[in-house]
Amino acid sequence: MDLCVFGVDDGYAEAIIRGLRASFLTEAQYQQMKNCASIPELKSFLEETDYQNCLQADNPQIPTSILRQRLKKKLADEFEYIEAQSTGTLTKYLFHLRCRFMIDNVVNMIEGLKNKIDIEILLSNIDPLGWFPEIKNIKVLEGDDYSSLYRDVLIDTPIGVYFMKFLEESIENLHENRTLNDIQNLFREMKPEYIRTSLKKMWLEDFYLFCEQELMPTSQEVLLELLKFEADFKTIQVIYNSIGNRDLNTAAKIITTRKQLCPTIGNLYPDCEKMYLQAMTLDTLREAVKGCDNYRDLLKDAPDPLKREEFNVQTKTLDDIMYDDECRRYALAFDGQGSYGVFYSYLKLKEQEIRNIIWLAEMISRKLAKNHPGWKKIIIPFSHLGK
Amino acid sequence: MSFFRSKQMKLYSLVIPRESAWIVMDQLGRLGQLHMIDYDPSLPMMNRPFANYVKRCDESLFKLNGLDALLKQFKKKLIYCEDTQKLLDYFRDIQNSRQKPGHTLFDELEQEIEKKKYNIQEMSNNLQNLLDRVDSITEQKLVLEKAKEILGKSMFSQSTPHNVNDYQQLKFGQLIGVIDKEDETRFKRIMFRITKGNAWVNIVDLLPEKQHLQIKTSIDLNRASQPRCLYVVVYPGMNDQSTLKQKLLKVCDSFTKNRIEYPNSQETMDNKLKELSIQINEAQHLIQMTKKQLEVTLDELVKEKNGCNCSYFEQLRLYVLKEKYLYVNLNYLTMQGSIFTGNFWLPEGLETLVEDKLRNAMQNSIERFPTGQIQEIKPKQGELAPTYFNLNEVTMPFQEIVNTYGVPRYQEVNPGLFTVITFPFLFGVMFADIAHGFLLLLCGLYVIFWKQQLKKQTDSMFNAMIPFRYLLTLMGLFAFYNGLIYNDYLSISLNLFGSCYYPKNEEWEREQNCVYPFGIDPVWLASGSSLNFMNSYKMKLSVILGVTHMLFGILMKGVNTLYFRNYLDFFCEFIPQLLFMACTFGWMDFLIIMKWLTVYPNGKDPSIIETMINQVLKPMDEAVTPIFLNNASLQLSITQLLTIIAVVSIPWMLFPKPLILGSGHKQHKVQINDPQYQKLISEKQGSELEIDPQQFRKELQNAASNRSLESSEQEHDSGEIWVHQMIETIEFVLGGISNTASYLRLWALSLAHGQLAEVFYDMCIAGKLDMGGIVGGLMSGYFYIVFALLTFGVLMMMDVMECFLHALRLHWVEFQSKFYKADGYLFIGFSYNKMLSENNHN
Repeated sequence: MDLCVFGVDDGYAEAIIRGLRASFLTEAQYQQMKNCASIPELKSFLEETDYQNCLQADNPQIPTSILRQRLKKKLADEFEYIEAQSTGTLTKYLFHLRCRFMIDNVVNMIEGLKNKIDIEILLSNIDPLGWFPEIKNIKVLEGDDYSSLYRDVLIDTPIGVYFMKFLEESIENLHENRTLNDIQNLFREMKPEYIRTSLKKMWLEDFYLFCEQELMPTSQEVLLELLKFEADFKTIQVIYNSIGNRDLNTAAKIITTRKQLCPTIGNLYPDCEKMYLQAMTLDTLREAVKGCDNYRDLLKDAPDPLKREEFNVQTKTLDDIMYDDECRRYALAFDGQGSYGVFYSYLKLKEQEIRNIIWLAEMISRKLAKNHPGWKKIIIPFSHLGK
Repeated sequence: MSFFRSKQMKLYSLVIPRESAWIVMDQLGRLGQLHMIDYDPSLPMMNRPFANYVKRCDESLFKLNGLDALLKQFKKKLIYCEDTQKLLDYFRDIQNSRQKPGHTLFDELEQEIEKKKYNIQEMSNNLQNLLDRVDSITEQKLVLEKAKEILGKSMFSQSTPHNVNDYQQLKFGQLIGVIDKEDETRFKRIMFRITKGNAWVNIVDLLPEKQHLQIKTSIDLNRASQPRCLYVVVYPGMNDQSTLKQKLLKVCDSFTKNRIEYPNSQETMDNKLKELSIQINEAQHLIQMTKKQLEVTLDELVKEKNGCNCSYFEQLRLYVLKEKYLYVNLNYLTMQGSIFTGNFWLPEGLETLVEDKLRNAMQNSIERFPTGQIQEIKPKQGELAPTYFNLNEVTMPFQEIVNTYGVPRYQEVNPGLFTVITFPFLFGVMFADIAHGFLLLLCGLYVIFWKQQLKKQTDSMFNAMIPFRYLLTLMGLFAFYNGLIYNDYLSISLNLFGSCYYPKNEEWEREQNCVYPFGIDPVWLASGSSLNFMNSYKMKLSVILGVTHMLFGILMKGVNTLYFRNYLDFFCEFIPQLLFMACTFGWMDFLIIMKWLTVYPNGKDPSIIETMINQVLKPMDEAVTPIFLNNASLQLSITQLLTIIAVVSIPWMLFPKPLILGSGHKQHKVQINDPQYQKLISEKQGSELEIDPQQFRKELQNAASNRSLESSEQEHDSGEIWVHQMIETIEFVLGGISNTASYLRLWALSLAHGQLAEVFYDMCIAGKLDMGGIVGGLMSGYFYIVFALLTFGVLMMMDVMECFLHALRLHWVEFQSKFYKADGYLFIGFSYNKMLSENNHN
């Protein structure tokens, strides 16, 4: 049924996305990019692709950070256009998508302020996709006083809800008779990365709920599958990264932290929860997730987190493996018609493309030899289609 | 010169040494007769030898575009180059007088553009900064004045120190500044939160002064400024070190940088205001000066220079465009060591001209490098030449009509030639009206004779008609002619030659042996059966026209097959098709004319439809009312013969061709596997130079006509050929019927046109003429206006459009489907002149 009426409100937006689908760089283009000898050459190559307009005004020796900013700006512009063309549920849905970037921006700002980086630099580095007006007011943050930051600034923002939940949860986890000092200590020790992960987890759960409650069945079919899978990956990543982490020295602490950071959705939850929370080595983690999908295969090639110090550029990390698998799954969303999955996938895949370009730009600017394994470390969206 | 077929093309390869590449290409560009072929289309632009130059040209163009935008902002009118040939000559003269390699001129111009752009950018930035400064100063002044109003004088007086400990609580600090209007609520909210409601926040809209606005609009360099607000926050506590103040400061600064220190006494306040006024005046003076300077610089760009009748800016732009075009075409060549090679198509007979150009390329240059060489080569199998017609202003719109459907295949019969007459004629049949046709004719003639004047009026409606003026004229002429034949003048018949009928006893009696010389006798319109008579006449006429048109199309197919020596198609498609068409609808046409020529006794007219249907349903019975008067048996035997021919021609169309192709296909396969045969081919290729031109041409054309067939032949099996042929046959047979019916639109549209004209005439003019007196005069005047407007709007605009579209359809679908392949591609000459005139007014 929903396929009949999908086009009424969302047909145009979907059509735009499908048109933009053609702008993805092809494998042959990546090959040419790899052959570029210098950054100006890379830039002039990109000017022949869909990125032409956003780079034209820059000088040829463009720094990678600016390049990234330009590419992201283009993506944000496209997204904004689609958002402006959308109505009703789709608008809400697209806004939800943006929240992820807002979280990133807020955490980056907090991190930067803590490290005493100038606010102007921070503002120029924010992801345009996750821009919201209050972001410049984060400057108000004093020390580690997150609760007053929330009270003064973030309360009105879209991510205020997540932030509040996060603060509540963190304080609840303290022992019964907590003092103000305890809370301050808690905040001082809190790492921005931790904030990011738990905010994102909440966002993911919230987004999942939204999809489940408000979207049409066709969209749900695609999106819930993707989100479950994403949640699982988050879980695996959290567990994986907490193995052998020095900050988490006691077993109890590990488990509470893991519990707080692992999403309560996905294929792994709740069946495997007990198993993975207890997993202290890579092998036990593999054992824990073996029941689901192809996770075992994914983890098969992952390097052991206990030997983290030995990692270098060549190592194919868990992240790389996951990105690879993700890319394939997101590309699949384009196969179906009449679902909101394409918007999500488009964003994800374009992000991957930007990551690829930046990675190549880095490789080029470092003038690494062409047989360096790093050159192979890009994941090309839709490349599996050609095979 | 004819454009019955596209021009003969020859493929040449071009070899140019690296040193003279620019000069040779420059010469060829001026010649403008070469169709360059991209040597390797898959090669990305970036990896081509002159990619760098193209990029530099693009950058220069980008800069020029920036300047152009600025020129538009300052409302400078550029003079565009009308005569591009003159400009090109001028460029050449400069090149010759420079005594340096030709391509270096671009380097100089590039630097000049860069310098100009830099200068102007600098100046406009200055201007912008000044404007911004005035902006911010005015804003400050405004803020101070307003804040004074809001806070009042007591703010100053409260600072007189009392006992510090007692009155600490009573004292207030204040923060003043400017924020964007859209941040207003957010600001209030955050202030409330931070001070827990213990602050007084007042926000007032700022309206910039009028005088300032004037400067701004006259030089509108920047985006429209957003509305801004003044905020005043009054909070308890004066102490600079209080945490509240620190926090508030931080918040205010996080919104904007425009926080203003509020002076702490009346005196400083007044001084400050005075100071600001002086600053404003100074800045405004500076603005005027910068503006003047900028205008002078810009005027220099706009001025005519060097006698080319166009702005210097345009000269620069067109030169860079020309240079870019040259390099883009050079990029089609491929570099082999120190020479460039590439291929191009050239219309037959121009070889000597190109060779001359090449020989003389270095004449005016100081250097002496060997110039290029061309050599004729044989096109590869399946490589088709571009379609090239020498068009003039008359034939151009007609060819355009054909090209919109599809560009003719190389050397195939060009429907554009026939379209020149058939298109306006079929239009005329539908739009037949003496008056309307004449108006259209006048309109066309007006555009023809006043072309020069109209060209200057860019906003005139007639200006857009200039390219189509001959089309319009011909359309008008044929509508006029057909109107005469139908004898229809705004739905009235004209009694031009004296009618052959005279009234007698309430009846119309015909004079003996009288024939109305031209067109329809006007009496028919006055008679009660006028509509019946005209319908039958127009219907038959349109079928006759239609069948003739289609038969002509089929004949053209025959001409094509003969020209390409494709005898298979000639015998297995053309002949059965022609027979089928002639034996069914051709016969029907014959019957129609036969019936017209015969006078049947007792008014017992035979029905043609009945005859045609009985021909199939009762093939053995003689007709009751034969069309061949008194000779039913002759009619029957002819009918039977024709029916048999028509029926036989259907399988004839269907079976032989796929059968023959299928057997050839098998042989082909065998041959490829045979090693001996392969050797034979290579030997043949080796001796290719000895093949005489006639033979070569033939081979080329065979390749041309078989291109699509061969590719399908090699890839697909005979099943596909069968399906293809089946579709073709069914399409032709069914199409024969439906297309004939389709030509009835000639009648239908003409009927609609006539009826509309009649309604307008009856409603607006005819009835009102009877009313006498002054009122009658005024009324008829009024209704005449209504009539004129309706005639213009509905008939002269809408109906012209409608008839045009239907004529288009008859050509595209009914006529061209009979023979036209339409899968060629256009010849695009490498010509400066063409490129420059296309880019002139963008």
